[in-house]
Amino acid sequence: MARPGADARLRRLLALVPWVVAHDGPTVEEVCARFGLGADELVADLDLVFLCGVHPFTPDSLIDVVVAEGRVWIRYADYLERPLRLTPEEGLALVAAGTAALAVPGADTRGPLVSGLSKLAAVLGVDPGEAVDVELGATPEGVVETLRHALAASRQIEIDYYAYGRDERTRRVVDPHAVFAAEGQWYLRAYCHLARSVRRFRVDRIRGLEVLDRPLERGPGDSGGPGTTLFEPRPGDPRVVLDLEPKARWVSEQYPLEALEELGAGRCRVTLAVSERAWLERLLLRLGPAVTAASGADGVAAAAAARVLARYRPRLASTET
Amino acid sequence: MSRLERLLNLTAALLTATRPLSRDDLHERVPGYPADDAKGSFRRAFERDKEALRDMGIPVVVEPIPGTDPPVDGYRIPRDQYALRDPGLEPDELAAINLAAAAVQLEGLRGTEALWKLGGSPVRATTDQSLAAIPTIPALGPLFAAVSERSRVTFSYRGEVRRVDPHRLSFARGHWYLDGYDHDRQALRQFRLDRLEGDVSVGPSDSFERPPASGAEPPRPWEMGDEAPLEARLRVDADLAGWALDHLGPEALVATGPDGSVELALRVTNREAFRSFVIGFLDHAEILAPPELRDDLIRWLTALAR
Repeated sequence: MARPGADARLRRLLALVPWVVAHDGPTVEEVCARFGLGADELVADLDLVFLCGVHPFTPDSLIDVVVAEGRVWIRYADYLERPLRLTPEEGLALVAAGTAALAVPGADTRGPLVSGLSKLAAVLGVDPGEAVDVELGATPEGVVETLRHALAASRQIEIDYYAYGRDERTRRVVDPHAVFAAEGQWYLRAYCHLARSVRRFRVDRIRGLEVLDRPLERGPGDSGGPGTTLFEPRPGDPRVVLDLEPKARWVSEQYPLEALEELGAGRCRVTLAVSERAWLERLLLRLGPAVTAASGADGVAAAAAARVLARYRPRLASTET
Repeated sequence: MSRLERLLNLTAALLTATRPLSRDDLHERVPGYPADDAKGSFRRAFERDKEALRDMGIPVVVEPIPGTDPPVDGYRIPRDQYALRDPGLEPDELAAINLAAAAVQLEGLRGTEALWKLGGSPVRATTDQSLAAIPTIPALGPLFAAVSERSRVTFSYRGEVRRVDPHRLSFARGHWYLDGYDHDRQALRQFRLDRLEGDVSVGPSDSFERPPASGAEPPRPWEMGDEAPLEARLRVDADLAGWALDHLGPEALVATGPDGSVELALRVTNREAFRSFVIGFLDHAEILAPPELRDDLIRWLTALAR
């Protein structure tokens, strides 16, 4: 890891000094663990604090640092005894994280997090709940709670799942690895015994859920954190080439592209990996005349449009209900 | 002498100052600055240090030095503005905030340092503790400051300059929004923050009263438009009925069919967005009414079916 710059070290010191002052001789290990430092880094920072103080830099105007028997004391730094106020970004980070944690289904909405956030909000000058609102994603009642219980107990589950990309509903047994919210949706990451691989399932598309009295066969291991990308093309996926009008250009920013070629006048030609036909159908039907399928998608839009229209045909003569 | 040492001494000098200190005072009192040569080496080093302190949130104020004529500007850090007011958190409250900050990742925001200041003990979440990842954008910090200090903000949105009293921030369906009073439109408006262009400029504090939260959810895409409102009726097949109800809320439900399908009512002011939403169901849904929305979809699909 790169050594932090002077700014980052100063921010850390301005938090570390008041904490040490307030805790009569904490141990070196404690200080290191709390502030994410190695012992050598702490010693380097403390050596430097020892040289600091105010004009005229006589001994009584220098900060006094004592390290003895594995413990640390700091004196004569009364002007640094309070931590620096929170920046707006820091205030937001805590308020948003706390508000998000309260938005998790099953969260304790009367516990210490609520009272803690409300005290914090008062210091920041906002009314709790008035300044920041966080919604993590719609889920069927009780499903996130049940998934988290299954996860904690390491039990297999059987889900009734709607696969959006293939437009089909299936029942499958999965070994749950993680439940998390990202990009406005709740996800379950699990080893799927039907697909025989680790898959990411959208919790809002789980219709039935049963916790089985069976332990996991495939544990989480290292299947990645919530930051892994949601759309991962595979080498074997079919490729389609689409010509996008300016109105449809957002597609080139929204999805990972294999290639992008400018066609002039704001038009562009993109190559996409598409593993699921229903996903492509929706994209083409939504874009309509703003997209032309150059290759790999011949007749897909027409066939899908005809299939959806079939629903309307018996009633085409009269559109009144 | 290291820059860190100089920065710490500068902070100490400004915090203990009983009157604003001029640049020359500081040059004399803070060791480690270069000489005040013709190239302005000291001045540049000092300006850089002052900005570094301000960037980390230290309130370095500029005031005329009393008794100077003509007035000379000096610098100091008022201790009451510098120090964190103690929120008086109980240990269990601090622990709950620690846990929340570990379980929710706000990409790019410094939650760790905020916890240090509060005396908390930042913990790194393991995969099974991670509950949520929330994206952030640079404008959120200044906007949160403006929301909490009730300062009017000015920014560019969809090619127009907007002057807005920022009431609150919300994160919903994967995006950050700002609710506020738009002085140019003279109406309450909601802005999607990833569509905000350029920087946000923040005006003086206490410039408006925040109305209480309405509790209203951010509008759906088909509600974000200025077209004459239409009430759409949509039938969704049993397979996707549960999903549709979870997303639209029970208030959208008009009737449930014997086969498990549902009939839903939606208010539409953006027909294009509504068509896009309905297409998401492919052949598992049907617009029942009004005829203009139904015919619009039929026309759209007929053109594509050729």
